[in-house]
Amino acid sequence: MTMNRPRGWRRGLVDLDVGEVSREIFVNEEIYAEEQERIFARAWLHVGHESQIAKPGDYFVSCMGEESVILCRDRANKVHVFLNSCRHRGMKVCRYDEGSTTVFTCPYHGWSYGTDGRLVGVPYFREAYHSRLDKEKLGLVEVAQLANYKGSIWATWDPAAPPFTEYLGGFTRYLDLQLDGWDGREGQAEVLGGVQKWLVPCNWKFPAENFSGDTYHNISHRSVDLAGIGPSGAGRRDMGERDVSRKLHVCVPDRGHQTILYVLPADKLPPPAYMNAPIVAEYFRHCEEERRRNRGEEARLVGAPGEIFPNTALLSRQPRTMAGWQPRGPHQTECWRWFFVDRDAPSEVKNFLRDYYIRYSGPAGMTEQDDMENWNYAHAASRGTIARRYPYNYEQGHGTAVTDYAYQGLRVPGEVIDLTEVQSSEQPMRNFYRRWAEFMEAGDWSQLATWRAVRKAAE
Amino acid sequence: MTGQMSAPINIRDLAAGTSIVLADGAEAEIVDNPGDGIWLFARYLSSPHDPSLVGQEEMIFVQNVVSIGTATSMSSRA
Repeated sequence: MTMNRPRGWRRGLVDLDVGEVSREIFVNEEIYAEEQERIFARAWLHVGHESQIAKPGDYFVSCMGEESVILCRDRANKVHVFLNSCRHRGMKVCRYDEGSTTVFTCPYHGWSYGTDGRLVGVPYFREAYHSRLDKEKLGLVEVAQLANYKGSIWATWDPAAPPFTEYLGGFTRYLDLQLDGWDGREGQAEVLGGVQKWLVPCNWKFPAENFSGDTYHNISHRSVDLAGIGPSGAGRRDMGERDVSRKLHVCVPDRGHQTILYVLPADKLPPPAYMNAPIVAEYFRHCEEERRRNRGEEARLVGAPGEIFPNTALLSRQPRTMAGWQPRGPHQTECWRWFFVDRDAPSEVKNFLRDYYIRYSGPAGMTEQDDMENWNYAHAASRGTIARRYPYNYEQGHGTAVTDYAYQGLRVPGEVIDLTEVQSSEQPMRNFYRRWAEFMEAGDWSQLATWRAVRKAAE
Repeated sequence: MTGQMSAPINIRDLAAGTSIVLADGAEAEIVDNPGDGIWLFARYLSSPHDPSLVGQEEMIFVQNVVSIGTATSMSSRA
């Protein structure tokens, strides 16, 4: 593989037959610029949660790739996502992180927009524009499509992108583990506190790959395991449920989404957890019983780190959090972390979880700090002329995935590798980079929605 | 001395019901103040150059406010 030709994206930089990915895709500025157009301007991206904008006028300033966007609820209670940029000279019309307002006023020349995006105020409209400016055409730029999936808000700039649930494919099952109540009721999650944001000097694909399901790097977290930050005072998490489960890698091959998954035996409830806090332990014990009642066999699924292509990470259990890996140039990522609780949970439970979550994740989280250190130094050590000549290796578990996996009567669709004995595979990373390469090569969504052609051929 | 300027008005301090004089000589009563320091929602009380504006509600740009007015509001007149 000849590596030192930094001329943007080209075939061969991702070679999944061999199991190699060029370092260029992490450090090359032309490739990074192409990603903004080919991936972030076309994919569905996570923007926020409706609990962050509970009342009319509430807003949360989010981002989609490099673009600053405003997630807001207008006076008529409709949710919008707008580009946070004035139509006059491009100034951000909102420079706060969140709040409530009646208008977004550009501080540069004063153009002002309603929470429905309409341009409602233009200084000297009558005098300087002679009332001729067509305000109807100059509202805030709105995303092409928006989806509210069980309270989580997603958007895309591409009008040709498939509907969000089609984009997810079978991965809705794993997003449900994140957003549904612990007792199995639909869409019971709310965001706990604010969103934690911090910068890491690495390419956005380092954390995206890691959260796709890297079970190989647990050595990085040995010190945290020894410190015993878990909710029962040992390890990082309560591992009892994992010890009795099958541990899987599950990939949705034509979508680029992947996750670690635990499947409990048919006849077992998860062992007790949160044993350092009786109220919390009792809450989760009760919820687990309800979950079995509400969800039946599906309640045997236990979520773990996963990734929705391109840059949204899920972690539905201990801690329950979603992350966005926001690109800030090829060499920097702004990590955003949302923490979730059941909105009906007792305050004692929410408070306990808040302490545990920030002990684990985020810029002060002990486990996340281990990860950041890896991504930081791996990126820095991949930028040099010599380093770029040597691709990363992704051969682990190559060719061992199955598509008909079932455990004690519960079928798990997708490409699956049972890790219970083998411990680790790089199937999720291969799945992620396969989709990444498809996005970088495809001209439009007619080429990206490969499953539609397969379905049509089958008919 | 020419071009003497009056003290600038901090429009964030102006409450609903306050009368304001605009650059074109019109006078309006504040209906709502969003507090952004840039806009006021106001209803025209008088407008020498365009009498059709009287009674209408508009967003008033801060730079158009030249002084505090003395007119009695339409609501108190009623």
